[in-house]
Amino acid sequence: MNLIKSFFSLEKQRKRLLSKAPEGALKQYLSVPIIDLEQPIMDSDILAVDFETTGLNAKQDNILSIGYVALAASQIRLDSCYHQIVAAHCQLEDDNVTIHTITDQEKASGRPLASVVEDLLTALAGKAMLVHYAQIEKNFLEQACIKLYGMAPVFPIIDTLALAKKRHDRCSQAYSPSTLHLTSLRDEYGLPHYAAHNALNDAIATAELFMAKIQHSELKGDTKLKSLITSAFS
Amino acid sequence: MNAALNDIVDFIKVIPPFNLLNDQDCHLIAKRTSIGYYRNETILNVHQNDQVMLYIVKKGVIAYYDNAGELQGKFSEGDLCSVLCRPDTERLQISLRVEEDCLLYAIDFNELEELLTEQPTALQFLLQTAPQRLQNTMGAITESALIASSLTNAPITDYYNSPAITITTQASIKDAAKYMTEKGVSCLVIMADEQPAGIVTDKDIRRRCVAEGLNIQHAVTDIMTANMATIDINLCGHDALALMISQRIHHLPVTKYGALVGMLTATDLMNQEGHHAVNLSSVIHKASSVDVLVELSLMLPKLQVSMAKLGASADYLGKNISALTMAFTIRLIELAEQKLGNAPVGYAWLCAGSQARQEQLVYSDQDNALIIDDSATPEQEAWFEAFAHFVCDGLAACGYIYCPGNIMATNTQWRQKKRVWQGYFNDWVTQPDPQALLNSSVFFDLATVYGDSSLLQDVRRNMLAKTQKNTLFQAHLSRNALLQKPPLGFFRDFVLIQDGNNKKGLDLKHNGLAPIINLARIYALAEGIEDVNTIMRLRLAAGTPSLSRTESANLIDAFELLGMLRAEHQAKQLIKGEEADSYLLPKEISRLEREHLKDAFKVIKAMQSYRQMV
Repeated sequence: MNLIKSFFSLEKQRKRLLSKAPEGALKQYLSVPIIDLEQPIMDSDILAVDFETTGLNAKQDNILSIGYVALAASQIRLDSCYHQIVAAHCQLEDDNVTIHTITDQEKASGRPLASVVEDLLTALAGKAMLVHYAQIEKNFLEQACIKLYGMAPVFPIIDTLALAKKRHDRCSQAYSPSTLHLTSLRDEYGLPHYAAHNALNDAIATAELFMAKIQHSELKGDTKLKSLITSAFS
Repeated sequence: MNAALNDIVDFIKVIPPFNLLNDQDCHLIAKRTSIGYYRNETILNVHQNDQVMLYIVKKGVIAYYDNAGELQGKFSEGDLCSVLCRPDTERLQISLRVEEDCLLYAIDFNELEELLTEQPTALQFLLQTAPQRLQNTMGAITESALIASSLTNAPITDYYNSPAITITTQASIKDAAKYMTEKGVSCLVIMADEQPAGIVTDKDIRRRCVAEGLNIQHAVTDIMTANMATIDINLCGHDALALMISQRIHHLPVTKYGALVGMLTATDLMNQEGHHAVNLSSVIHKASSVDVLVELSLMLPKLQVSMAKLGASADYLGKNISALTMAFTIRLIELAEQKLGNAPVGYAWLCAGSQARQEQLVYSDQDNALIIDDSATPEQEAWFEAFAHFVCDGLAACGYIYCPGNIMATNTQWRQKKRVWQGYFNDWVTQPDPQALLNSSVFFDLATVYGDSSLLQDVRRNMLAKTQKNTLFQAHLSRNALLQKPPLGFFRDFVLIQDGNNKKGLDLKHNGLAPIINLARIYALAEGIEDVNTIMRLRLAAGTPSLSRTESANLIDAFELLGMLRAEHQAKQLIKGEEADSYLLPKEISRLEREHLKDAFKVIKAMQSYRQMV
């Protein structure tokens, strides 16, 4: 796909969607122009996002929790950090409980999906979304928007997994898929482990990995944002 | 609180001074934090705009340098780069360079100051200079030593001084100060119509008068504390202690039926703990043979442990152990004279080094010497050889190993007439070659254990008169003394030394205490001070051209801190039945103790470099 063309389309598509969007959070999100993709990454406003979900299928499974944190001027700003458990109707399956350490009781203290997604969309407006393995956050957020607003918007997404994959693919050596896990990639840069596995920690962890990647020569700080956008369309 | 930030809160809350805060406050700090990633060799911009950032190393290493590009220290995981909180004048002298890829937590210092307005202790920790922090630390330690001490249910009458020293409300501040000096007390009760109206202490004169620039002709009532706390004579030592701690005071007027009958000080309570040492020394004086002395010497390590556990200061510990060594030596001398007959001429048995300075701990080697009266004939001198062997062998049997450098009275060189000794000192001072300097550092710390103390006094006065005038000798001695440097600080679980290299452990004796001992000796020689105890030398040199009062106080704080850590370290070893040494591993000490040690190193380093410039 012609990249340049796709970015033009990204902004064009935003405007098209804006005209159809129902009143509310989605419309407000769409009313803010897509971040200028010609600017250097160093100067770009980025929101690192992570979802914990009950499974991999966005159509069947649910979002358990959402965490995000802003990245501005190459600094992760913890004052912008956000973590919210989503109240859901289905019972948690035992397996996932151990991974996410979200218990039914905690989930009961969660807020409705609509309000959590609204927070996320507000924070995302005008920013690039940074995730590790975009398929989860992208698909689940689109599904949530379709459910809540009847349509899915567009997001400029930077995917640290895709960036790492591209780098590994360039080397002729074969590699195990596990080398692309967030923790393995962080190990490569000597980044410390977080004790708890939750959506906010993972968002921070992804942002730290991204900063390390920028600081190591593989990504130059003056690289234009658009060259990192790995997935833009639904 | 957002529990999802717990990882970051947990990391922050163990770092001094945030360890003083509760979880909620740490959470607020975490929320104000931003995280950045910096490559190796990046120079961190510490003075951009007016924004002062405080960094905490989450991962990686930062080295910091002074203006001249000399390495000052390193920060690694869990270290707070507190150099950045210093006032601009100091902060701008510092440059920070990343040495290993870093993940850094940054907090805007102005925001932090706001967050910590309710937490003055934590804020002080960040704002104070190393000497100031050290002073607070030692103050707090003295207080906790009081808490730890085993003051049982002994009544106050066991401790207090009666009557209380008083002065009337008509007295001026000057009158009060003069009277306190005359009476040798640190506080006075102010009486109005025979009734106690308030109390004034050394500290009040310092803080409310001198520091404020108050005229000393003002009434003493201007600086007294009215409504003072008092304690009833029927209560016990414990109660007095509890009151002192809760009120943060060191002086308590004692009352009986409401009338003033005496004064109780924190020092009185502390001194109470010294009785074991006194008991032991009286038993030593009665020992009938070397075997009995050997038996008694086995109690020394236990005594050191029990005193250390009671929270005794290193100064106190050193004085007690040194006094006991002296008691052993004196008893051995008496036994030698019983066996060999009385000495044919006058003499003085001297001790050198830590024992002379009264800073000795158990398992020290023996350093001793003999001055013999000039009238002795060669035959008479022979008596002293047998005498010296008896005493030194006896000391060795009691656990004081023979001096590896052979500085003992058994060595003919150090068993000489007064005349010869005077010649030695003259040569050392006029021709300061390396050996002479080494000798002088040992023999400038001498004390008479037994015999005619005027012999040493004569030699010493003669020597001090020479050293005081001889600035060249002072310079040589300084250079020599400054060879032993404190480390820069800690780096992960290593000790970071001058050239940026690491060492596994910290030699508290050679790289901490010895530099201060050496400095104190230089001040003493330059100012003609006869005392050899390091703290006394520093006290007496305070306010002379060699040393300001503040510098003296700073060095004393550093010396006491290092001594205390050594005593604690040794107590642990002795309890385990190991031989005690002064080699501390960074793993043994808490983060806070590391910070305290770094402060002490800074104080020493400042004084060393000042001396270097002289």
